[in-house]
Amino acid sequence: MSRGLNRRVFLAGSAAAAAGTVAATTIPWTAAHAAPAFQQGRPVDVPDVDVRPAARADLTEATLAEAVTLLRRRATSATELVEAHLARIAAFEPTYQAFNAVTADAARAAAKAADRRRSGPLAGIPLCIKDNYFTAGVETTANSFVFEGFVPPYDATAVARLKAAGGIVVGKGQMGPLATTRATQPNGMVTTVNAWTPQDPSVDPGGSSTGPATAVAGRLACSSIGTQTGGSIVGPSNQQNLTGLKPTMGRTSIYGIIPLSYTRDHSGPLARDVLDAAIMTAVLAGPDPNDPRTLGLPAVPDLVAAALPVRKKGKVVLRRSTTIGVPPDYLTGNAAVVALRRTFLDTLAAIPGAKLVDVTYPADWGLLTGTFNAIRLSERTEPFLPYLKQDPKLFGVSLLSWLQGLFLSGDEWITGQRAKHHLLREVLDGVLSRCDVLLQTGPVPFDILGLPELGLPIGFAPVGANPAVPVGTILGAGPYEEDRLLEVGAAYQAVTDWHTRRPADPAPPAAAARSATVKPRLTPEEVAATTA
Amino acid sequence: MAVGPSSLSTEQLNAFIVARLAISGIDFNLLPADPDPATGVPTQTQVLSSLRSFLLANPAAVNGWRPSADAALGQQLAPPLEYPSITEAWTGKADGR
Repeated sequence: MSRGLNRRVFLAGSAAAAAGTVAATTIPWTAAHAAPAFQQGRPVDVPDVDVRPAARADLTEATLAEAVTLLRRRATSATELVEAHLARIAAFEPTYQAFNAVTADAARAAAKAADRRRSGPLAGIPLCIKDNYFTAGVETTANSFVFEGFVPPYDATAVARLKAAGGIVVGKGQMGPLATTRATQPNGMVTTVNAWTPQDPSVDPGGSSTGPATAVAGRLACSSIGTQTGGSIVGPSNQQNLTGLKPTMGRTSIYGIIPLSYTRDHSGPLARDVLDAAIMTAVLAGPDPNDPRTLGLPAVPDLVAAALPVRKKGKVVLRRSTTIGVPPDYLTGNAAVVALRRTFLDTLAAIPGAKLVDVTYPADWGLLTGTFNAIRLSERTEPFLPYLKQDPKLFGVSLLSWLQGLFLSGDEWITGQRAKHHLLREVLDGVLSRCDVLLQTGPVPFDILGLPELGLPIGFAPVGANPAVPVGTILGAGPYEEDRLLEVGAAYQAVTDWHTRRPADPAPPAAAARSATVKPRLTPEEVAATTA
Repeated sequence: MAVGPSSLSTEQLNAFIVARLAISGIDFNLLPADPDPATGVPTQTQVLSSLRSFLLANPAAVNGWRPSADAALGQQLAPPLEYPSITEAWTGKADGR
C-alpha cells in the first residue's frame, strides 16, 4: 500500500519512466485526449504587458501574461520557458515536494511542438495540475490509496481546455489526500511545504491545493489549477502570496475531477496575480456538455479586460463604482493580520470608485455556515461507497469524514438544502443588497452557496520563528460576477506590489535541516477537523 | 419528555454506529484495533469516538432549524436547492446586478 516516493521522482530521469509516459510523449496535446463530448473553450486574447526586469532576467519570475508577451515577441521560446521551470523542479522539488508526478518528457515534447507551431493563448506556458484532475495517460490519484494506479482515459474538461489553448503540463500537483486538508501522504505524513518557509514544514502551506500553490509560489510552474470545496483555492493562495479565483458554481466545468462534494466542488486557478487568474479562468470557463451545471448560465464576461487596471489622469480608478462590504468580524483576531487588513481597507478606500460600508450578518449566520457545513459530508460518502465497502483502510488518515457522511439521514440532507436556499436569500437580498463585493473572513459561506471568491495577497506577518509569512484576504461577490471581483483586485494590485514578491530559494543548508527534522504528521481527527 | 442524542449511552451509540456501517456494507472489523502508521487510518476506538461526537452534535442541530417557527407555514418556505447560485441563473435572477 505504501506509495513511497516513486511518484515524485523526476520521470524524465529513467528509461522506465519514459516508457511509462510514452503515450503522453508521442501523441500531440490535442483534444484527442479529451472526453468524448469535449467542447472547446472560448477564444481568449492575452494582452501585451510591460515585462518587469526581474522577469527578463529569470523566466521563472514571469507572470503568465509576461511570459506570453515574451513568447509573442520571440524574446524567448517555449522550450526555454519549460526548461527553466524544469531546472527549478530538479533543484528544489526535493525540498518543496509540490508534485505528485512530474511529466518532464511530455512537457519537453509539447514545448518543442509549441515552438514549431505556436497556437493558442497559453502556447508554451508551464502549468501545474492538481492531482484530482483526470490527465489522459498520466496516473491520477488525488494523492490517495483509493486511486493508486488509476490512469484516466481522457483529460478533465479543464485540462483539455488548457492544453487546447497551448498550456503545457509539467506535473500533477500534490494535494491533501482526496482533497481534504494540507498535502500529506495518504497516511498523514506531511509532504509539501509552504514555499515561503521551506525550512519549516509546520507552517501551513494551505490546502488542499497545496502542490499547485507551492509550485507557482516556488516558481516551478507559471500557473496552476486547483479545486475548492471548502477554501482549497483561496486558502493556499492566501498562504503563499498568490491570487486565486474560485469561480461561481458552473462557471467552470468539474467534469473529470475526482469528486469530494458534488454541490460544493469548484475548479479554478491559483495564479501569480489578478490578470493571470483572469486569463486562466477565461480559458477554463464556458459551457461543457459533460457538466450540466455549466449549461444555461449567463455569458462569460470579458474577464481579461476586467483584470486590467484603469487609469484616469495617471491615477488608478475602479473600472466601475463598487461598494465593498466589511463584515463585523473582519477586523478581529490576530493583531498583525488585523493591521494588514486595516491597511488593505485604507488602500481600497483611497481608490476612486471604491466605497466601503459596514455590513452585518443575519442572526443565523453562525449556524448556517458553521454546523450546517457538515451537510456536505453525505455527498462525499455516496460516490465512494464501493471503496468503503471494499476496505475503509483505503482512505488512510482521511477516513473519518467519509464515515461521518453516513450519519446524516436523507431528511437531514434535505434540511441542509433548504438551509442553503434560506442562506442564499439572506446573502443576496440582505448582505449583498448593500454592497457589490463582500469581504470574507472564511471561504465556507460562499462555498456553500457556490458564489465566486477571489483570494489575493495583502502583506506579510510573523508566524512562529518565521518573520514573514504571506497574509491574504478573500472577497466574494454575487453569482457570475467574477468580473467585479477582478476589477477590484486589478485596481488594488495596481497600487500595491505584494503580488510581485517571490520567496527566496531554499538554501541547501535549509533543505538539509528540514530533512533532519521529524516531519509533522496529521492525525485522523486533525484531518476531519480541517477537511475541505 | 423530549428525547435527544444526549439520552443515549456510549454503548447504545457504539452499537448504532457499527450497525449503520454494516447496513451500508462497511465492515467495522476491517479497521485496526491498534494504530497503523502505514495507512494512518483511525483505529476502531478513534472511529467510534469521532462518530459519537458527530452524532451528539450535528443531526440535532440540523433538525433544530427550520425556515420558520410556524411548522405549517414553514413548509412553504425555502424549498431545497442543491445548487443555489445556478438556480439564480436558471430563474433569470443572476444577470443585471
